[in-house]
Amino acid sequence: MSLKKFSELFVDLDSSNSTNNKIEVLKNYFFSNDPIDNSWAIYLLTGKSNKRFISGRYLKNLFSQIYEYPVWLIDTCYLKVGDSAEVITLLLKNKSTSRKKELSNISLNELLSKTIPDLSKLNEEEKNLQIKNIWERLPEDYHLIFNKILTGTFRVGVSIGLITKSISKQINIDEEIISHRLMGNFKPSIDSYKFLINKNINLEELNSKPFPFLLANTIEDKIFKNSINDFQFEWKYDGIRLQLIKRSGNVSLWTRGQELVNESFPELVEKMSHIKDDFVLDGELLVWNFKEQIALDFSLLQKRINRKSPTRSIQIKYPIIFIAYDLLEINGRDIREIKLENRRIELEKYFSKWQNKTENNISDIFKICDLIFPNDWPDALTYKEKSRENNTEGLIIKKKTSIYSSGRKKGIWWKYKVDPMQLDAVLIYAKGGSGRRAGLYTDYSFALWKDEELIKFASAYSGLTNIEIKELDKWIRKNTLEKFGPVRSLKPEMVFEISFEKIQISKRHKSGIAVRFPRITKWRKDKKINDADSLENAYELMKKIS
Amino acid sequence: MRTKQEYLIRYKDGNLYCELADIWIDPSKPVKKALITHAHFDHFTFGCEEYISTRETAILLKERVGDNIKIKTFEYGEEFKINGINISFYPSGHILGSSQIRFIFAEEKWLISGDFKLQKDETCKQYEIVKTDYLISECTFGLPIFKWDESNKIANDISKWITNSPEKTSLLFCYSLGKAQRLLNEINNTNFKGKIYSHGSIHKMNNSYKELGIDIRDTIKIENKKKIDELKGNLILLPPSLSKGTYLKNFKNIQTAFASGWMSIRALRKRSGYDKGFAISDHADWDGILEVVKKSEAKNVFFHHGDSEAISKYLVEKESINVLFLGK
Repeated sequence: MSLKKFSELFVDLDSSNSTNNKIEVLKNYFFSNDPIDNSWAIYLLTGKSNKRFISGRYLKNLFSQIYEYPVWLIDTCYLKVGDSAEVITLLLKNKSTSRKKELSNISLNELLSKTIPDLSKLNEEEKNLQIKNIWERLPEDYHLIFNKILTGTFRVGVSIGLITKSISKQINIDEEIISHRLMGNFKPSIDSYKFLINKNINLEELNSKPFPFLLANTIEDKIFKNSINDFQFEWKYDGIRLQLIKRSGNVSLWTRGQELVNESFPELVEKMSHIKDDFVLDGELLVWNFKEQIALDFSLLQKRINRKSPTRSIQIKYPIIFIAYDLLEINGRDIREIKLENRRIELEKYFSKWQNKTENNISDIFKICDLIFPNDWPDALTYKEKSRENNTEGLIIKKKTSIYSSGRKKGIWWKYKVDPMQLDAVLIYAKGGSGRRAGLYTDYSFALWKDEELIKFASAYSGLTNIEIKELDKWIRKNTLEKFGPVRSLKPEMVFEISFEKIQISKRHKSGIAVRFPRITKWRKDKKINDADSLENAYELMKKIS
Repeated sequence: MRTKQEYLIRYKDGNLYCELADIWIDPSKPVKKALITHAHFDHFTFGCEEYISTRETAILLKERVGDNIKIKTFEYGEEFKINGINISFYPSGHILGSSQIRFIFAEEKWLISGDFKLQKDETCKQYEIVKTDYLISECTFGLPIFKWDESNKIANDISKWITNSPEKTSLLFCYSLGKAQRLLNEINNTNFKGKIYSHGSIHKMNNSYKELGIDIRDTIKIENKKKIDELKGNLILLPPSLSKGTYLKNFKNIQTAFASGWMSIRALRKRSGYDKGFAISDHADWDGILEVVKKSEAKNVFFHHGDSEAISKYLVEKESINVLFLGK
C-alpha cells in the first residue's frame, strides 16, 4: 500500500502553503509507514535521488510513439505545463487499456530498489515495452511520481530543514541530531531509518550542534551619528556563511540553513581536525585566489556546494578557504557573552598559535578576516565603494561591545552593501518560463543601443512582481513580431532598469560585454526606448570600475 | 475559397458578426442587435439597443444587471427569422440558459458553439448535438492535457478536503454563476453534511437558479465576514475576485481552494496561491471538443477563445478537416 501512501503524501505536501500543515502531514506519514519505505521517502524528499533514468525528451518521444501523438503537440502542451513528467502524466489519463492494476499495491521500496533500477538492464526495445507496461498497470494517481522519478525531476516544496523538523518532532530528538544523522551517504534501508530515530544519542552527535547564527541588518542612517571607533569593520564576502565546529576531535561544518556540508569540503574538515584545540568559529567559506589573496566568483563556489566527495582535481581547480570572523567557543568554554572586541583578541591569539604549528600548515585553507580601519564615516564610504575591487559586496559593521546573540538583532551587526551597477535597456525577446512560471513569458532578453541598432546584452528573469509579470505577459502576446519556437521577438517599446554585479569584456557575446547576476530592478514605464542606454555607456561603466 | 468577407459569419472588430442579418454574437461593445449565448459578463456588454437570448439567460441577466435592458427571448429549438436567415438556440451545457446558436441561410448551416461542455451537469440542459456545415467552436481547453474527471469524483474530493480539516474553515473560490450552483448540486450527493455559506453574489444566483426550478443545496448568506474564522468544519463559497486584495488577510484558521479547469496543471495551481485546486470546468476538454467537431459533421471549423493553433493543426493533420480563418 505504500506507493499509494507516498502519492497521497506528495499531493498533501503539494497542496498546502502552511509549514505547520506540512510538518503535521510528514509526521503522520513517518508514523504510519514501515522503516524501509520511510527511508526511501526521506531519500526522495531530501533530493538525494536525482538520478535521471531517462530524459524528458525520451519520455515524450516514447509516448508519441506508443499513442500516436505528434511530437509537436506534446511540445505545445509542454509550453503550458513546464514539466515533461507532468505532461506525460496528464496525457496518459484514460489511456490505459488494461483494467487490472496489478501494480496498485507496489511498495515504494520495490519501485525504487527494483522496478526502476531494473530498467537500465534492458535494451531500448525492452525498456520501452516495460515502461508502457508499468504505465498500464500502475493506477493513474501514481503516474506523476513514477514519471518524475524516472526523469530525475522529483521535487516537492519541502526543505531538508522541514523534513528534519518533522522527524525530530515525531520522535522527540533535537533537530541538530537528526541533521547530523541525515548527513552523508544516507542509503535507504531499514537500518538507516532505525539509526535515524534511535533515542540513544552519542557524544559525537551532541558535540556537533551549532549555535544559532547572528545576522546583520541593512544599514540605517542613524548609525552615522555614532563614533566610528565604536565599530569593527570587515569586508562583506559573497560566500557561504558557516559555523566551523571542532569538539572532541570531530569537525562539523554547518550552514545557516541547518545543513551539514562536511562532505562537500573534505579538505577543510581534514585540515581543521589536526588542530589541538576545540573551538566553534563563525565565518565564510569562499573559493579563493591564493596568489592575489582575493575571493573568486560565487559561481565557482557553486561548483563545490552541490558536489559531495569532490575529487582531488576539483579541489585543486576550485580551492576553498574558510575566513573566520568570530570565535564563539574555545576548548569547551562558551564565550558568546564576551564583548566582540575581546572575542577578536582571542581569535587572533589562537589563530597565531595554530599558524605557528609548522607540522600542520593551515594557511592554505584557513585564515581570519582582515579588519578595515576607516578614519571617519566618509572614509568608510570610500572603502565600501572600493569593495568591488576585491570581489566583496561591501562592508560588515559590528559594534565592538556587542555580545553574540542570535537572529537578526537590531543595532549589533550592519551590512553596508555596495550599490549595484545599472543600465536602462530595451526588452527585445521573451521566452516561456518553466516549472512554476510555465505558460507565462518570464524569461526576458534586453538590448542596448549601438548607433541605430539594438544589441542584446543581458537576459534576466527575476525582479518583477507577479502582477507585473502578468501585465508584461499580456503585452508580450500583443506585441510579438516573430515566433521562433518558444521565443518571441518583440516590438521594442518597453524599457527596464537592469542591475548587475559585475561587467567585463566577453568575446562570446555580440555586445562584447558580459554582466553577472543581471536582474530587473525597475520597469521604466516613464522612459521611451530612445532614453535607454547605449553600449558606449556600458563600456564607460566598465572603465570607471577597473 | 471564399474570402472572409464572403462568409455568413466572420470576425469584425474583435467580435463575431453576421452582416446579412446585421447582428452580433456576444459583442464586447454596444451595437444595435446582439445575440447573447449566456449570462456571463465576458459575453455581455451594456448599451446594445436590443438583446436576444434564451428565456433563462434573459432572467439571469436581468437579475445581474437590472431590468433596464431590452431582451427578446426564445425557447431552445424555436426558430426565428432575421433578414431571411433562420436562427435558433440549442442547449450548450455550459450553465443554465447557455446556448449554441444555429444560422441557416440558403441551405447553408452555421453553428456557433458558444461556451459549452458535454459533461453531466444537473443544473442545466445537456449539450445537444446539432448538425452543421460550418462550426465556430470555443477551444478554451484545446490541448490534450485537459481531460476532466467525472464531476461526482471532484465533489467527493471537495467533501474529503473539508472533512479532513475539521479545525479549519474551508474557502472554495468559484465563479458565482454556473460553477457555484453546479458544485452545490454535486456536493448534495457527498458525505459532507456540514453547513455551506455563500457570498452575496453567489447567494443571489443560487436564488435565481432555485426560482427556475434547479435543485441545489441551501446556503447561508455571509453577513459578517469577521466570523469566517469561527466557521470551522464548514464550507464557504466565494467569487475568485475576493482571493486577491485584502479580503483574506485577517483570517488565520482557513484553507483555500479554487475550482477551475486550469487547476489540472501543477504550475498554475502553485502560482494561483490557493492551497488546493479542483479541476472542474464548465468548458469542454480536448476530447469533448473533438467529439463535437465529429458529431456535428462540420466540414469547416473555426476555433476561437483559446490556443486555437494546436487543435486546428491537429484536425488538419489527423482528420483532414478544413480549418477556416474568420479574422480576429
